[in-house]
Amino acid sequence: MIELAEISKIYVKGGIIYPALNNISFKLEKGDFCSVIGASGAGKSTLLNLIGGLIHPDSGKISFNGKDIYKLRTREIDMYRKRHLGFMFQQFHLMPYLTVFENIRLACSTKEHYDKMGFYLDKCGLTDLQNKYPAELSVGEKQRTAFVRSIISDPDLLLADEPTGNLDSANSAILLELVREFNENDGTVIMASHDPGIAGYAGRTLKLEKGRLVD
Amino acid sequence: MNPLRLVIKEMLYRRITSLIILFTVIVAATVSVAIYTLSKASENETRKIMREQGLNLYIFPKGTNLIDFYSVNNTPVFPEIYVDRLAESKTFDAVRHLTGILQVRYSDWQDPNGSVHQIILMGYKDEAMQRFLPQQETMGFDVEKGTVHLGALISKNVSPGTQFTIKGRDDKIFSFTVGKRLEEGRGIIDQGVAFNLADLQEVLGMSGQINKIEALGCVCKDGRIKNARNQVQSIFPDLEVTEISSIADARENQRLMMNKYGAFIIPFIILSCLLITGLLFYQNITVRKKEIGLLKAMGNSSFSIIGLIVSKAFLLGLAGGVIGFFTGNLIAGYFGTEIFRFTASDIKPLWNLLYLCIILFPLLWMTASWIPALLASNIDAGKILSQEY
Repeated sequence: MIELAEISKIYVKGGIIYPALNNISFKLEKGDFCSVIGASGAGKSTLLNLIGGLIHPDSGKISFNGKDIYKLRTREIDMYRKRHLGFMFQQFHLMPYLTVFENIRLACSTKEHYDKMGFYLDKCGLTDLQNKYPAELSVGEKQRTAFVRSIISDPDLLLADEPTGNLDSANSAILLELVREFNENDGTVIMASHDPGIAGYAGRTLKLEKGRLVD
Repeated sequence: MNPLRLVIKEMLYRRITSLIILFTVIVAATVSVAIYTLSKASENETRKIMREQGLNLYIFPKGTNLIDFYSVNNTPVFPEIYVDRLAESKTFDAVRHLTGILQVRYSDWQDPNGSVHQIILMGYKDEAMQRFLPQQETMGFDVEKGTVHLGALISKNVSPGTQFTIKGRDDKIFSFTVGKRLEEGRGIIDQGVAFNLADLQEVLGMSGQINKIEALGCVCKDGRIKNARNQVQSIFPDLEVTEISSIADARENQRLMMNKYGAFIIPFIILSCLLITGLLFYQNITVRKKEIGLLKAMGNSSFSIIGLIVSKAFLLGLAGGVIGFFTGNLIAGYFGTEIFRFTASDIKPLWNLLYLCIILFPLLWMTASWIPALLASNIDAGKILSQEY
């Protein structure tokens, strides 16, 4: 489904070169749950952004269903993200001026997506909160809203960047169960975290150290 | 989600910035509408004032002694049909409000008390319209047949209710109803009587004859008098044109004054407001970087990101343009009453400006938001949304 071949990425800041990723290769099939663990600065977010088509690698190739995503035109990359990917971030990134319902609706591009909203709101315990604004929610509620937003469009691949980073253990467990359920319904998940405990939820774990994959 | 709803909710959430942008549009629209409306009012006012001052171009037969014109009653005459011929000529557009006049000095007018006076008689032909040019209101020198307008000095010698009588050709006495008693301070007419041209021609036995045409010269690129003179003399080489330059200058200066102010103030205000708007939009997208990054991560194209920013500018431009039109008219009405003596009550909304406001201000404000919108579309979503660097 998705294959990374010899991916490298460097950042240059103030004339100094920072290698973010170095020669990364791996392959995931549909329905895989892969956790990417590593310390802060190991290159986890860079890896997710590369897979998400948000930044370009300096070398290497990322293929999604056999197509090199960095050979796609800008509009096609937009469509790749819209149709196939769901993003979840540590900081939730909810629109502060939209209600829970509207934040989730933002990701609906078809009537089928819209029709499923009630089901997911109920499942994630957000039905009673759907008319509240992000400022009125707890962090757990915010992250559950962000989760529903990321999966409402039925993505093939969920990219979760430290989704439990701001959550207490109870809320983390709730969220990880929801992610696991998404995975059990044939959704592919790549979840980045600095918490090795995440690995228990994933079928496969990749460990990053200073931009390199280690055993 | 409907993008328009998203734009409106964002505007309401960041209402201070939105209100300041709206305020800049209102200021620009208000100033533009008020100044434009006042400049039009100024032109109308000028027209009224100049009506009081009289016409600025005199057309005489060649060889007329202008120094003695008012004191000698045997100045050269020419057919009144000349006025109509000039008005009908398709190439004659440098002069408007052609008024044929027969003006003579009458040395032994006897007032109702028996006293004898030297007075000026003026016969006015109805103003000739150039039908091929946009029609204008007449200058108002028309005198109804069978009536006279008495100058202020003559008026003192004719009691209310009595008729004006004058001895004409073959010692025949002619009587006229007094149609109007003119106020004093109107120049030569103070000691004169204004007739309908046909009436005066009958009194004097000068049928079909006039001795001057008074008119208004245009504000022409290559000079008022030169252009008018060329056009008149190409049709009637036996006529010459003289300008009363003080009236012409006053008219031209007055007319151009507000336009000159407007030509400076309107672009200055609009550009200043656009600059402020551009900066506010820049600040707005800086605050919204994460939102925009998220929209990109969700697959929204650069085009739709630009659309969101520019739509906001469009909505604020539209609302501000419409509000500015009405506040501009209120201000023009308020200050116009203070400034303009004659036309204050005629200052009314110029509705064509509303259409212009509806089109122009949204377009201008969309332009002001364009660069910030492009910057927004180029936001690096990966960098903004992740925390690693």
